[in-house]
Amino acid sequence: MHVPPPLCAKTQAPVKINLQTRRVRRCVRAFFLASLCLGLVDSRAAAAAIATPSTNRTVLTEAVLAEDSDKQIELVRKLVNAGSESIVEQALSAWRLGNLFLLETNDTRIPFLLEARTDGEGKAVALRLLDGEALKDADGVPIKFSAADLTPVDTTSKLRKAIKTTLDLFALSSPNSKIRRDAVIKLGQEQDPEYLPHFESRLQDETVREARRALHEAISLTLAASEDPVVRDSAVLRLGELRSITSLQFIKNLEKQAAANPGKFGEGTLSATRAAAQRIETYIAFGNLFGTAFRGVSLSAVILVAALGLAITFGLMNIINMAHGEIMAVGAYTAFVVQGLFGGGLLFSVFGKTVSLKGMGWTGGWFDAYFIVALAVSFVTAGLAGLALERTILRFLYRRPLESLLATWGVSLILQQIFRHTFGSANVQVSSPSFLSGSFVVHDVLFAYNRLFIVGFALFVVFLTWLLLSKTSLGLQIRAVMQNRAMASCIGVRTERVNMMTFAFGSGLAGMAGACLSQIANVGPSLGQRYIIDCFMVVVLGGVGNLVGTVSAAVGVGVTDQILQPWLGAVLGKITVLAAIILFLQWRPNGLFVTRSRSLEG
Amino acid sequence: MKTRLNKIFATIAAIGLACVAHAAETVKVGVLHSLSGTMAISETSLKDVLLFTFDEINKSGGIKVGGKSVLIEPVVVDPASNWPLFAEKAEQLLVKDKVAAVFGCWTSVSRKSCLPVFEKENGLLFYPVQYEGEELSKNIFYTAEAVNQQAIPPVDYMLAEGKKKFYLLGSDYVYPRTTNKILKKYLKMKGIPDSDIEEIYTPFGHTDYQTIVASIKSFSAGGKACIISTLNGDTNVPFFKEFANAGLTSENCPVVSFSISEDEFRGLPAKQLVGHLGCWTYFMSIKTPENTKFVNDFLKWVKAPVVTGVSYNVSGVDPKGRVTCSPMNLSRMGVYLWKQAVEKAGTFNVDKVRTALIGQKFKGPVGEVVMQANHHLVNNVFIGETLASGQFKVIKTFNAVAGEPFSDKFLGK
Repeated sequence: MHVPPPLCAKTQAPVKINLQTRRVRRCVRAFFLASLCLGLVDSRAAAAAIATPSTNRTVLTEAVLAEDSDKQIELVRKLVNAGSESIVEQALSAWRLGNLFLLETNDTRIPFLLEARTDGEGKAVALRLLDGEALKDADGVPIKFSAADLTPVDTTSKLRKAIKTTLDLFALSSPNSKIRRDAVIKLGQEQDPEYLPHFESRLQDETVREARRALHEAISLTLAASEDPVVRDSAVLRLGELRSITSLQFIKNLEKQAAANPGKFGEGTLSATRAAAQRIETYIAFGNLFGTAFRGVSLSAVILVAALGLAITFGLMNIINMAHGEIMAVGAYTAFVVQGLFGGGLLFSVFGKTVSLKGMGWTGGWFDAYFIVALAVSFVTAGLAGLALERTILRFLYRRPLESLLATWGVSLILQQIFRHTFGSANVQVSSPSFLSGSFVVHDVLFAYNRLFIVGFALFVVFLTWLLLSKTSLGLQIRAVMQNRAMASCIGVRTERVNMMTFAFGSGLAGMAGACLSQIANVGPSLGQRYIIDCFMVVVLGGVGNLVGTVSAAVGVGVTDQILQPWLGAVLGKITVLAAIILFLQWRPNGLFVTRSRSLEG
Repeated sequence: MKTRLNKIFATIAAIGLACVAHAAETVKVGVLHSLSGTMAISETSLKDVLLFTFDEINKSGGIKVGGKSVLIEPVVVDPASNWPLFAEKAEQLLVKDKVAAVFGCWTSVSRKSCLPVFEKENGLLFYPVQYEGEELSKNIFYTAEAVNQQAIPPVDYMLAEGKKKFYLLGSDYVYPRTTNKILKKYLKMKGIPDSDIEEIYTPFGHTDYQTIVASIKSFSAGGKACIISTLNGDTNVPFFKEFANAGLTSENCPVVSFSISEDEFRGLPAKQLVGHLGCWTYFMSIKTPENTKFVNDFLKWVKAPVVTGVSYNVSGVDPKGRVTCSPMNLSRMGVYLWKQAVEKAGTFNVDKVRTALIGQKFKGPVGEVVMQANHHLVNNVFIGETLASGQFKVIKTFNAVAGEPFSDKFLGK
């Protein structure tokens, strides 16, 4: 995370011009870059800033250097009205996120920020918090640091909370409506009448619906804490109308107090709180319904993505591939390697020899693109791994399912050990690209981007598989071979080649699944073990040899699991699902959808 | 000529060896930690720190017993994360190797499985990892944090911070369940109604935290909520990822994790854990001369690991990215407490050492500990906030908290 260059960074240019041409050039460049970044330069503001470091900056510096955290909090609170000075906001949020640093010499401590722009070695110019000037060494050359080498200025959670409150007050007038909304909700929770004028004035100019709703909610919630019964009761009713989940707790407490102490609160409060609480609770029940539906779909997508490769190799080809999970892990580790190549490089060992790969050192959008590339590359690597497995072992075992089970189990153990030797037995970290982090909210139901991505990805992969199987000549051949190998061979289909391609395709899908799951689960040597049971379960439940069956089984298992979980808990929910599947298979041993073909029945 | 020279050298060498052998009287000490299997990630670090401590003691002259100095000779066995194997390996250490003391075990189930062996053979086990209490064996010394040293202090801290709702989330096994049972009682004593306490467990290796995070989100919607997490190992990764994606932060809903120390951090995405809390009796970041020395010496040792003075070949020590953590510190202090007790008793006899251990004091890296008659330590407790570097910043210290294994003693029935 980098801090945009503070406004005053560009002010140094005019001052230094007479001193030294070399430095001037550098300063002018900084000036130019800074103005590019910000898009505008206000020369008057710049001139003013040279004359005196702003008082806000002085207060801020004082706050950073204060030893006592209560004193720090007090100073931070003082800055409430400094929101228009963007450096204050930048510095505060940098402080909160650990991007503010201290230069400590024998007797001075200078807080500084790093310029957003880094050089080839990832180092950036240090800018003093007090006046935005670059820190210089004895020769007058700006000192550069790499954020990774520095220790940020410490904060405690209380202090961060105070910083957050101050930032929230700034945020009330942020250009981003989502930021405004979050800030309003946060401040509304505090039920502090001091904020009311801020909310009211904001409501005058606010145009975005969500933010307006949050403002109404915050105002009503603040008023609901009022001592005046008329104001209070109407505010409570209003909260009910707004279906404010955040205030439910407060309303219920108020209801309890009103019931216990009718003399103080009166009938009006009691009935108002009851009505409001009921409205909100009904709303929550609906929200839970939709939330559960989405979570069910999302879990189904995860299981489906993982099981689809197996639906091909086990379902269509009838090979019991116990190494399916490890093929997924191949894909997941591929994502890790691609991430390293795009980012800061990586280090691993191949049979005891350490291999060091240099990364591109990209950041931001270019780095985030690694994930898309990783999905494609993992399809290839896992497909190749599958190909190798098929050529060296499985092709000798096509008519011997029990042996193929044992052989592939052995392969899975070997692969796990190879992962341990190459990448270590601890999990590796695959970071989430920024477009997959976070979530959005519709009617208080949470939609996380990574979950949505997996749902979309599952649909895409199912579509891809359907396209391959039903619209291409390879698909036709695959289906022919799977239905009746001998007959297909007789009419000239090269069954060996088709087997090979099918298995490689199934493995490739597993690899993509692994890369995809690196976003929500751990990447480690035992990744495969975690999913293999679910995969087999879904394929068997859906009916071996039937893609539609696999899809419906995945959806069934996922949704049932999510419906049961809130009632029974994660452990008992899973047990119930497994027990239900066993009972179901007693009733219909061939699964949901039965594929009739001569070869399968034989 | 050549052969004669060789003979002379051989004789000299033999005399030299004899001298060494004579000077170095040794005592065998057992190390019972899983070096393979699921627990290896955590337990290997404890094996490393024990060997380091033996080396430290041997370098400074060993244990002084009856006017002689005795060097420690480690006997390292691998119970391979297999609980019944812990009992077998413990028996092997006590009966075959006749070790004077054993340092080991991580999970409660491994301790429970070898406890009968230690009682039958009258052995001595030092147990260094936070645990659920409700146990006291005369053959085990628990240098570990008891529940009132690790779980109660952060709850007190959260109550003092104005938190009114507690979400107890744990992996499904004995330590989280027992700890949460105690915590629930404690919270009720502190006036938190049942409706404001939620207790949820997930299986080992659980990856789908959607429902739980959604319920946390609505649980914490009214503010003043916090999470007490006893989630173990890598299940923390999907949990914290989901948690961060839902827009929850340490500011609106802090998580106190009991099972994440500096060592576990090596496999976790530190970015998503920043600001959440941990509670231990030791943090690597605490600045005292003793701790700086311990950390520096250990980091130096892992680069060239040896146990001075005995013919033991140290292997399997990873020199990269090492840290120290509370279980490691407690392991090390256990060795020193045992050494002092042996020196006081003047013998390795288990019964005498046991008596001598009670009341034994040791100035550890972050303060003095005292072994109490209930086989638990009086120790300082720290609450720390997680930093992006994977270290903790101490935000609250509780001095000299006396470990108490039985909850009815500190809850008062």
